[in-house]
Amino acid sequence: MVTLGHFLLLSGLLMAVGLYGVLTRRNLIAVLMSVEILLNAAALAFASVAAFRDPHLFAGQVFALFVIVVAAAELSIGFAILLNVYRTHGAVTDDAISEMRG
Amino acid sequence: MSLTAFYALAAFALVFAIFAVTTANMVRAAFSLAITFFLIAGLYLLLGSPALAAIQFMVNASAIPIMTLFIIMMTQSRSSAGPRTWQIAAGLLAAAAALVFFKGAVGHGDGQITPVSPETLGVNLLQAALLLFEVASVLLLLAMVGAIVLARRRAG
Repeated sequence: MVTLGHFLLLSGLLMAVGLYGVLTRRNLIAVLMSVEILLNAAALAFASVAAFRDPHLFAGQVFALFVIVVAAAELSIGFAILLNVYRTHGAVTDDAISEMRG
Repeated sequence: MSLTAFYALAAFALVFAIFAVTTANMVRAAFSLAITFFLIAGLYLLLGSPALAAIQFMVNASAIPIMTLFIIMMTQSRSSAGPRTWQIAAGLLAAAAALVFFKGAVGHGDGQITPVSPETLGVNLLQAALLLFEVASVLLLLAMVGAIVLARRRAG
């Protein structure tokens, strides 16, 4: 029988993988992709707690929906900023934006 | 039966997520990220929520990888440089901290999955969370306009 613990453990493992990616990736697009893994892990935790513990309102699943919305908005703005970084610096790596200029 | 499905989906989702954050080839990372999100949509089906699974499939497993591939193409970043040594140490430390944080989660053994129909989820969305729903639509509109303004090519 699948329990809430299974889903929460998977969510924690995905969160660990995403954190590792955020800290180790040097291409900024890859960093944003790791942030996506983090947000999906959080949404999965919300949805599973709602399915197991909230049989009337399913508030966690509604919240998981909003997490997906915020993730999409964050990613589109992030990519637009990275496009500007590419135009001004010629690359989207962490070395390219290590200096700040007006 | 559902335990087997869970273990298969979870194992493949984890493997593809690890591949997505470690491979040097950016295009492969984007595709394996799409597969991870597709498998998470399967997990939502296992949780008895087809509406959430459909949204996850349409947004996270289809639209976002396409956008990611476009931006990889436009910035010509085929590969990601390998991490520095201190970055690997910090990453492993943070991952271990996250696992310690989630250690207490394993104990939640009891409870039953309650399937939720798309109708129920939609009614909850438009009654209990109506204000949040409207704020989310304004947020999406703002993000769309903001992305267009930010990515516009400056004249001169």
